[in-house]
Amino acid sequence: MSGHFSAYSFVDRITELQPGKYAKGEFQVPVRVARFPSTLVAEAAGQLAAWNAMAFLEYKVRPVAGLASEIRFGPEVRPGQRLDIAVSIDTCELDAVSYSASVDAEGVRVLELDNSVGPMLPMEEFDSPSAVRERFELLCGPGAPSGRFQGVPQPDVEVVERVPEQRVVAMLRVPKEAAFFDDHFPRRPVYPGTLLLDAHIGLSLQFAGESKRWPMGTRFAATRVLGMKMRSFTAPGEILELWVDVDPPSDPTKSKCKTGVRRNGKTVATGGIEITARSSN
Amino acid sequence: MAEPTKQEIQAVYPTVAKTIADALGCDVDQVKLDVSLIEGLDAESIDFLDLVFRLERAFKIKIPRGKIVEDARGDLPEAEYEQKGIVTEAGMQRLRAFLTEVPADRFTTPLKVADVPRLFTTETFCKLVVRAQHAAATAG
Repeated sequence: MSGHFSAYSFVDRITELQPGKYAKGEFQVPVRVARFPSTLVAEAAGQLAAWNAMAFLEYKVRPVAGLASEIRFGPEVRPGQRLDIAVSIDTCELDAVSYSASVDAEGVRVLELDNSVGPMLPMEEFDSPSAVRERFELLCGPGAPSGRFQGVPQPDVEVVERVPEQRVVAMLRVPKEAAFFDDHFPRRPVYPGTLLLDAHIGLSLQFAGESKRWPMGTRFAATRVLGMKMRSFTAPGEILELWVDVDPPSDPTKSKCKTGVRRNGKTVATGGIEITARSSN
Repeated sequence: MAEPTKQEIQAVYPTVAKTIADALGCDVDQVKLDVSLIEGLDAESIDFLDLVFRLERAFKIKIPRGKIVEDARGDLPEAEYEQKGIVTEAGMQRLRAFLTEVPADRFTTPLKVADVPRLFTTETFCKLVVRAQHAAATAG
């Protein structure tokens, strides 16, 4: 359990807290990590909401990834930057927490998250309630030492079907072992939904880059995720099918895609990704 | 509190149907008033959660979590409603009276408590919305 509260934990300190209502917190992105995907910024927001909700409900339950109506990504966060996270809890009950959040890095808004819902599951199934309580007290007090996060591996994605300008399908091989499984979660390792989203965004960006729609040298960024819904957990070692269907173009600078994840034909997750093209000049 | 009337149900149905179609990613034409969301439209538990939040936003109402199941049980004590995860005969009577939109042949026994949501139809959610509107009106 060496990676517990470090390998996939993105709140160093909770600086303001009203249980069941709102929270503010910080996370220092370690200088040495090769990359810090925007989906990890969303994870940080979700984790701060989770800390608030778990404490409010006395560590009986913990939220897991469920729904996000809309995630808006700003500029990519650079290693070494500090995230200032704010969450506003709309409802917090034994079956779900709903919240909105924003994250700034050095005064620049890097993420906004609207109407997210985390279904609650029994804490005992995922982690030690007493260990979680102790950690929460540390976060609310002096804070956890920064620099614990060691980075995440690049997702192992292989394209298996491609219809130019329309559709791409790929296989995602979830690692059998990874440090983040020690933290997410100690008693039941689950492939994080935010890493799944990162893999999906990467596939969508790669496919956008292959399109003849854009001039050579165009750069792309995922700017919005819409209607994300996680339907089931993914265990270590599973193989998932990711698909991306590109909507007919309706905006000269954007590409909108419907996306989904399947395992053995059954839907694991669905959502939409908006890619924005930026000229290289 | 007065039960939802047919007119009230019909009034909310188009928005409820669109909300269900958006939540499940299906065509709105598939969302008939009497379709079972789980058996007819492949809804899962996360979809019910999604749907309740979407209905709250669409109708600007507050739907307490677990409201359908709670209302379905009514004033029947939990011990009389279910035993070892199975709905009792008294519980079945209460469910039949509450879920009037569900055909009698779908109330098969033994019925697990966990399977009660399988009975829910589009009309169940229309009634949920109308009851929430009634509650909001009563509250002032």
